[in-house]
Amino acid sequence: MEPNPLSIILVKSDSKGDRLLFRYPYAADARNEAGHQSRRRNPYALTITEDLLQTPPPQTSNICKGHLTGFSDEVLSTLFAVKPELCERKFELKVNDVRFVGHPTLLSDSIILTNIVFALHATASHSIVKCYYDLSKRLGVALRHEERRCGYLSQETKTMVMAHDEVSARPEGEKADDADTPFDLILQRSTLARNLKSVYDDLISTGLVHVRVNRWIEVSFCLPQKVHQFYKKDFIIEPESIHRCLQSLRPYHGLLLLVESNELLDHMHPDASPALVRLIRMYSPLKSLQTLAADADLTLSQMFQLAGHLLYWAKATVIYPLCESNVYVIAPDAPTHVNSPLTERFSEHFPGMNLLQVMSDFSLPTSISQKMNPLNHPQHQKQLVQMIVWMLQHRLLLQLHTYVYFMPTASGPSLPQDGLGRQHSHSLHHSSTRDGSYQSTPDEQLSISVGGLMGGRAPSESDLSSNISDDVLVTPGNKLNGLPIQTSGSLVSTDNEVSFVNVLEEEKSSLVREELLADFSDEERTAILKIPAAANPEDLLLLAQLCRMGYLRGCHHLEEIMYLENIRRSQLLQLLDKFRDVLVTCETEDPAIALFYSHSYT
Amino acid sequence: MIVSRVLDYGFCAWFVGAVNMVEEGEYFEGCDLEGPLRCIFLCEFHPTAGPKITCQVPDNYISKEVFDAVSVYIIPKAQLQRSILTVTLLGSKILGFPIRIDNKKYARNAFYFNLCFVCDAWARSVQYEPVVKKLSDHLITMELEKRFLSNPQNENVPLSAMLKQVMEDLNTYRMCTLTEGTTTMHLKVVKISKEPSPVHDHQVPIFIEEQHKFRSEQWDLTTYQVLPYIDGFNHIAKIAAEADVENNLVKACVQNLMYYGVVSLLPIFQYSNVYAATPKLRLLAENKDLQQRCIKYVSKSVRQPPALRDIFRMYSSMTYGTTVRDLCVRLNPHPLRINERKLVQFGLLKGLIRRIYKYPVDLSEDNEVNAKDSLHRSFTGLQSVDEICCAHGLSNQQFEDQVEREPNVVLIWK
Repeated sequence: MEPNPLSIILVKSDSKGDRLLFRYPYAADARNEAGHQSRRRNPYALTITEDLLQTPPPQTSNICKGHLTGFSDEVLSTLFAVKPELCERKFELKVNDVRFVGHPTLLSDSIILTNIVFALHATASHSIVKCYYDLSKRLGVALRHEERRCGYLSQETKTMVMAHDEVSARPEGEKADDADTPFDLILQRSTLARNLKSVYDDLISTGLVHVRVNRWIEVSFCLPQKVHQFYKKDFIIEPESIHRCLQSLRPYHGLLLLVESNELLDHMHPDASPALVRLIRMYSPLKSLQTLAADADLTLSQMFQLAGHLLYWAKATVIYPLCESNVYVIAPDAPTHVNSPLTERFSEHFPGMNLLQVMSDFSLPTSISQKMNPLNHPQHQKQLVQMIVWMLQHRLLLQLHTYVYFMPTASGPSLPQDGLGRQHSHSLHHSSTRDGSYQSTPDEQLSISVGGLMGGRAPSESDLSSNISDDVLVTPGNKLNGLPIQTSGSLVSTDNEVSFVNVLEEEKSSLVREELLADFSDEERTAILKIPAAANPEDLLLLAQLCRMGYLRGCHHLEEIMYLENIRRSQLLQLLDKFRDVLVTCETEDPAIALFYSHSYT
Repeated sequence: MIVSRVLDYGFCAWFVGAVNMVEEGEYFEGCDLEGPLRCIFLCEFHPTAGPKITCQVPDNYISKEVFDAVSVYIIPKAQLQRSILTVTLLGSKILGFPIRIDNKKYARNAFYFNLCFVCDAWARSVQYEPVVKKLSDHLITMELEKRFLSNPQNENVPLSAMLKQVMEDLNTYRMCTLTEGTTTMHLKVVKISKEPSPVHDHQVPIFIEEQHKFRSEQWDLTTYQVLPYIDGFNHIAKIAAEADVENNLVKACVQNLMYYGVVSLLPIFQYSNVYAATPKLRLLAENKDLQQRCIKYVSKSVRQPPALRDIFRMYSSMTYGTTVRDLCVRLNPHPLRINERKLVQFGLLKGLIRRIYKYPVDLSEDNEVNAKDSLHRSFTGLQSVDEICCAHGLSNQQFEDQVEREPNVVLIWK
């Protein structure tokens, strides 16, 4: 209820004084006053003639059944025809439980002032008030432009004032039985009044406003708190949380359009960005933002901007791109009522299917591949995917991701190394990659000392070459993060005996292990080495690498690690299995995109 | 700029503390923080000069120009008398309660005045509304009794001192006691909390603060009777039965306790329950303080605390389709020195886990509604099994046996 406006009011102030030109809805007030009077006529009511404290019954509420009440036109017009020093800035006034917000706009000659004011519930959040202020400002700017261009507002003002005068000039008797107010006449005669009415109606019904002021200036506006509500009555998405979501969006995320792409293309304005059209043409829920950007020939940052746009206007939502390994469950806030309107719509979409029946299949975490049966007709498979898409669009399903925590000791997770340690390892990596020289970085010194072990041979060309080869190996992709491993002395072996190479290999591998484990404390090291898989340097390398990158602290789900490190799911799953004694896995939703569900935790 | 202004008023003790905690950048409109009172002024409608400020502390906080711009909202038309008016303009928020006293003795047969509180534009001001109202009513009485406001001989010295005291005390202690002759007047800024959600029979109240802290005489008799039975395991219906208090009264008590942030509601604990970890579980891996509290809370004995990894493993194993019973069989918490009931309690209170509820839904066509018994009528998808079992006095096992025989009833976990 809170995002809905109570009323929209147009006030002008010029040389002839201030006047309320139009308000909508206007019928409510009259009705309420009639009701009020009939209440007074209650024969059992006590009438107190003598009021001791001189206080008329305090008025504490100005809202009656979702409409503004208790303000006469004159009161409103004196309140909203502000002094010149308050123009062109935010106007906010709260009276009892009603909050008025508007942007008083000065027209060309700085004498005429117009103020389009929205009456809201006082409890409406600040972001809602801000959005309404923005809308008032936009309308004001459009009016100013049209006034400058062709004196539109002066003309409309004249029409409205005439209608007011006409009604008040009617003879007494006629007025009594003629129920219509000046506002009825104004609605018939003024396009501006009709525009304001449609603004109000749009805000109540969808939260999306598209009007053309004077059939010329386009004013479009989106009230995110309302647009994202869908069927959830008291669920409000604040624009701030949309921005937060955009901040945490990654290239591996995907878009899911909430409307048919053809419909979206049809409703797009003729001057819409061609990039957006291209994007929607290439759209598929199977594609990540990165793929979409490549397909639509956009840069990634452009892609993010367009995604943000679609997200804000509730044309799309963010998902992890559909794939067979995605695991879904029912969203905690999904309506399960037998008679919920969604079940009806679902049956219309997928004849013969029952939404609740289909949903109940997702009571346990279920992946698409689990639901796929190779014996099924391809048509069925297709329908299954479509149903999942439909349920995702209506936010009935939630995707679970696997997060991994590295917990080598019983005392819990190894706490993130302090910034110093991390920085050190980085700078180390950096210097060694930059110039494979003999700078006395620990890495190099170690390898030199290895050289010293080798039969008292002085560090020579081969060591140099091995050092260089380390760097060569490390630099491409930087994925190994400065761990000079896998050198296996291929360059060295060319000019050495085989046995020597073996010795070197062994030395190297123990060295490698030591280096890999250098980040860990003694306790952690023993815990890791206890695991049989730790004997395999490749596995150990991968684990150390993931640890060092901070992927095993529960902030990155498997898909993200796969994306960032460019490794396969099977590889990762194997690793999780091998090191399960020191790793803890956990299945939860992706917090980055959880804002679309009302249970989300921030 | 704001901070320096705050420091000018050294007496804003509670507020200065808040400044240290939050960065200056966080003061923006809509930040939802409370701020100090910047100024209190009294203005009246002068018979010849029109609206003017008669008394202001500190002096000249609201300049003449600003006041002239907003005076229409401070001394408004008759229709808006005795309405709480808040106007946010030019960087300030002015909160007032316009008053008119009709009497022949005044120059225009009426005396108009308004006592206004001023805050920064970013600050919340709702909490001051009752105070302004009460103080205005107090001023009306004083005016009626001894022309406290309108007497020109008064020179407003007592008023100025009074407003100064109100502002300083409200900013420092959030309350103020005024003594004027024989009358005493108490003002207090009350924290505005949200309406607590309704309480249901099958829910379990649990204390979120140390219990001894509020076992004082502040509660009513019914709450007294109910309090001993709130142990974090008894549900409302059971508390009502054991405390011998009517069910709805217990609910009202618990709701009241929730309002004051003393208790919180949890779903009832059963070994057949399913819980799932939330993204907040990450906090337990990162926050040392939370880890300590968690270990202390879930341990079976004080002397032998459980290992955090075991606790974490228990939490992270909670997911859809895994009941607490399954978990206990698989991970065996007792040798690990973990009390699984406390574990679930702690997880729910801190939001590390959430309950996955089971909703039975009857999919059969609605042509035989009358034939259904009350149990089947509750299979609408709106009531969880907890609720149904509690209402029908069934155990979970009995319920499952019943439902198993029904082909048309599907179970939805969410």
